[in-house]
Formats: sequence, C-alpha cells, structure tokens
Amino acid sequence: MASELILDPSQCPSAAEKAMLPAHSHSHPHPPGWRARFRQPLIGFASVALALIVWQLSGYLAWVDPLLLPPPSEVFRTALELLDSGYRQTPLWQHFLISVARALSAFAAAIAIGVPLGLGMGLAPTLNAVLDPFIQFLRPLPKIALIPLVVVWFGIGESSKFFLIFISSFLSIVVGAVASVASVSQGRIRVAQTLGATRRQIFRHVVLPNALPELFTSVRLSIGIGWTSLIAAEMVAADSGLGWMVINAGTYLRTDIVLLGILLLGLTGYFFDWLLVRLQRRFAPWAGRDA
Amino acid sequence: MNQESRIRLERVGKSFSAPAGAERGTAVLADVSLELASGEFVCLLGPSGCGKSTILNLIAGFERADSGEILLDGRAIRGPGPERGMVFQQPTLFPWLSVRDNITFGPRLAGQAPARYLPESERYLRLMGLQDFASHMPWQLSGGMRQRVALARAWLPNPEILLMDEPFGALDAQTRLAMQELLNEVWQTTKTTVLFVTHDVDEALFLADRILLMSARPARIRQELVVPFARPRDPEEMVTDSAYGKIKRDILHGVREEAAKALVPEPA
Repeated sequence: MASELILDPSQCPSAAEKAMLPAHSHSHPHPPGWRARFRQPLIGFASVALALIVWQLSGYLAWVDPLLLPPPSEVFRTALELLDSGYRQTPLWQHFLISVARALSAFAAAIAIGVPLGLGMGLAPTLNAVLDPFIQFLRPLPKIALIPLVVVWFGIGESSKFFLIFISSFLSIVVGAVASVASVSQGRIRVAQTLGATRRQIFRHVVLPNALPELFTSVRLSIGIGWTSLIAAEMVAADSGLGWMVINAGTYLRTDIVLLGILLLGLTGYFFDWLLVRLQRRFAPWAGRDA
Repeated sequence: MNQESRIRLERVGKSFSAPAGAERGTAVLADVSLELASGEFVCLLGPSGCGKSTILNLIAGFERADSGEILLDGRAIRGPGPERGMVFQQPTLFPWLSVRDNITFGPRLAGQAPARYLPESERYLRLMGLQDFASHMPWQLSGGMRQRVALARAWLPNPEILLMDEPFGALDAQTRLAMQELLNEVWQTTKTTVLFVTHDVDEALFLADRILLMSARPARIRQELVVPFARPRDPEEMVTDSAYGKIKRDILHGVREEAAKALVPEPA
C-alpha cells in the first residue's frame, strides 16, 4: 500500500539500538565518551562567558566610554526597566512578540508557497525557464531598495512589513527547493523504475523524500535571511517591534536599549536556527549520510 | 529443462552522441548478439569501459539501442519494468527507509497486501543474514550488508531476469568472496536468469554457467565459454581443480589482448 511509505521517524532506531551496532556504522571521529560529548559545548560556553567578562570589565575599568559600549550589567538593568515600564508606551514583551509574529507569519507563507513552487519548477523545466530570470534578479537585490515601492503599494500597515520579510525568505526557499529536486541521483530513480514505480510514485516516494534534507537546509538559510530583513521591514513607519526599537533608541543615543534589542534579535534568530536543526534531525535523520 | 531463450539481443548497436567539440560520437556496441536461456547464470567479462554496462542498461530499458533488437520472452523492450530487476555497483538504497522497507519497496508500490510479500521478504532477510537488521536504517550497515539489502530488494519481486552491474566491485576482497558464495547459494534456490557484469575472472568462473568475453570498444562478443565446474561449487576445491588454471589462463589471455587494444588510441 502506497500510504505505508510515509516517513515514519519512529522506525529510526533508538540510541540504545545504535549503541549495539558495530563501530563502523558510526562516522564519529571521537569515541562517544562523556568528555568527548561535552567538550565542544563546554568550550563554546566558556568562550561566551569570557567575552561577557571582558565586556563587563571594559566598562568597570573605564576602558571604553559606557555611552559607546554599555556593559552587560547596564544592559541587564535596562532590560528589567523595560520589562517593567515598556519602551514608548509598549511593554518589551510586546515588542518582542510583534516582531516574532511578523516574522513567523511571513516564514509560514514563504514555506507554504515557496516549497511547492520550487518543487514544481524543479520538475517542470518550462516553468523553471519562465520564472527563473525573475527569481534570480530579485533574490540578490537588497530588499531595502524595495521599501519605497512597498509603502506605495501596501501602505504603512502590517502588510508592507509582512511582504518585505516574506519576499526575502520566499525567494531563497524557491531556489533551494529547485536545487533539492535536482539533487536526486539517477541511480535511485533507476532502481525505483526497475521495481515498477510509476512517474507519480517516483516523485512521491523517491524525489520528495530525497529532497527533504536539502529542503530543511534551504528553509533554515531562508529563515536566517528573512529574520535579517526584519529591521528593513520595521523601518517602514512602525511604532513597535524589536527592529523598530533598535532604530528608534539609536536616534536618542540609548545604546543600552540598542544593545538589548540586538541581543534579543540575535538570540531569537539563534533559537529559530536551533529549532530547525532539531526538526531536520527528527524528520530527516539520514541527511548527509551515504546509502 | 526448457531451453528456450529468455533474453535475446540481435545485432545490437549503440553509439553515444559526440560531446561538444568532438567530431563524431563514440561507437560503444557493434553488432552484439547474445542469448540467455531461462535459469541461466551468464557473466559478461571484458576490459573496463568496453560497454558491458551499456548492454545491461539497454536490457533494463534505461537506454535505447540505435540498431538491432532486444527481446524478453519474444517481446521487444520499451522501457524499465519490474520483470527485469537490477543491482548496481553502488547499493543505491533509499536512506529514508528501513532495511525491511527498502526490500519491500517494489511490492508495496505495486499495492500488494503485506500478507503476500511479508513471508517472502522475511525469507530473503534470513537468506541474506539480515534478520537482525530489518529495522535498521541503511546508513547503519556496512558496505557488504548494504549490497545484500540491494540484492534482496531486486530479488523479492521475483523478476524474470536479474541484471547485475559489478555488484561486488566496490567491496573489499574478503567481503566480495563472501558475497559471491552467498549469491551462489541464493541463486541455487531461485534459479533466476542472471546476467552479471564483471571484470574479475575468478568471480566469473565461480558464478557463471557461461562466460561471454567482450572485445574492446566498439564491443562485440569475442568468445563464449561454458564453465565446466559442477554445482554446488566450492571456491577452494575449484581453484585446485586441474582444469581451473588452464581456463583462467585462456580467459586472461583474451582479456589482456582486448585491454591492450583499448589502450591504443583510435584513428582520428
């Protein structure tokens, strides 16, 4: 039954099963001991802690004017203050949530339209030939250049912000999806043909699952690009959002608020990326492995 | 036994179109004629690049011949189909499917009920020594085990002919030997018609009923040789058989002559 071929991650072996396998089935360069496993994260953690200490000392020992670079303790104090009283009549968590909501809705639309369109273009050379010039022209275009047009077209409401984030992630998702279809090996298609698969079955049971790891990677990259363009989007006559907060506080020389906004923007982007890596491991655990 | 031919190639020719800049294409096959009887195990032996794989690709239906006829049970071959199974040099498994799901890929796509194919797939899992690995994913297996999955996957739909394109060529010598013995055992139980491409003389002698020695490009069948050793065969006994050395020498002589020809540049 065709429906039984749906990816079932529960069929993947548990860690215990993996541990019972012969050594050659693992491509790990290090033995999976406790120290080896935590070495890299520990170094990363120590590196961040050291940077924070140096940063704090730079203010404490007056190496740098605190107006140019407020120390972490001050950024932390500002964070508490903004949590309490908000920035420009809007609580900090609302700035954060509105930015995340704008980005997530744009990502969702970009994935929902971009992935099927890119897969279709990858399968249909004619469609690809028609659309590719436009996509290749728009993709490297700095999206800030679109702001005047977007404002004229969509006004200064939410739709123009949505569109700017959407268009930057959408274009790179399409390009990635086209490439993910092309990456299927002729060998796998031939094997499926000799097992009696029809064209439709080959798409559904070979091309699509084969493309999944690369789709995850391109969505991951595109979300990074989309999150980057949040600032551009919130430059459009906004009065809320993390990007707007950073720009607005800059005009008042509130570098502590600028730094707080930068930290929140960076950490959120980092979290999105981490989430997608987890999702890829869950749903495409064969990514990057030979078979 | 019924000796009617299962696969027949009649004066098959094939060239590949000229790459940009070159004046003419490469003639790969010239007038290749061969026949395989039902239940026969035939090895195609020849220098590398001589067009052995092209013959398999034509029979599989991946490519079309420029001239001549290719018939399966008297019918012309139009494209790939499940009655012609194939095993490649690389296992080419589906890494998103478990070992069992890889093996049952064909029957499941054909819409067969699990009750019909599961007993057979369990039998092949046992035959291939994979019974403890049915739920493993392909990347967790060694190269030899992956190729055993590929063999089981091609064999399970019970094709009329199995095409094997140097299936053990990428394995180390010891694994290759074990795989040859395994293939021999499984074939004894199924008696599927097999066309097996190799450039390894010992492999051909151990596996085949008949060896077809190919010439350098453009390839013809240079020589045909019936392997005289009785089955079931034992590799150790075979190599100590007095006939073995002479046959191997004859074949090697032919292979080397053709390989030398392949090294001479073609006239411009």
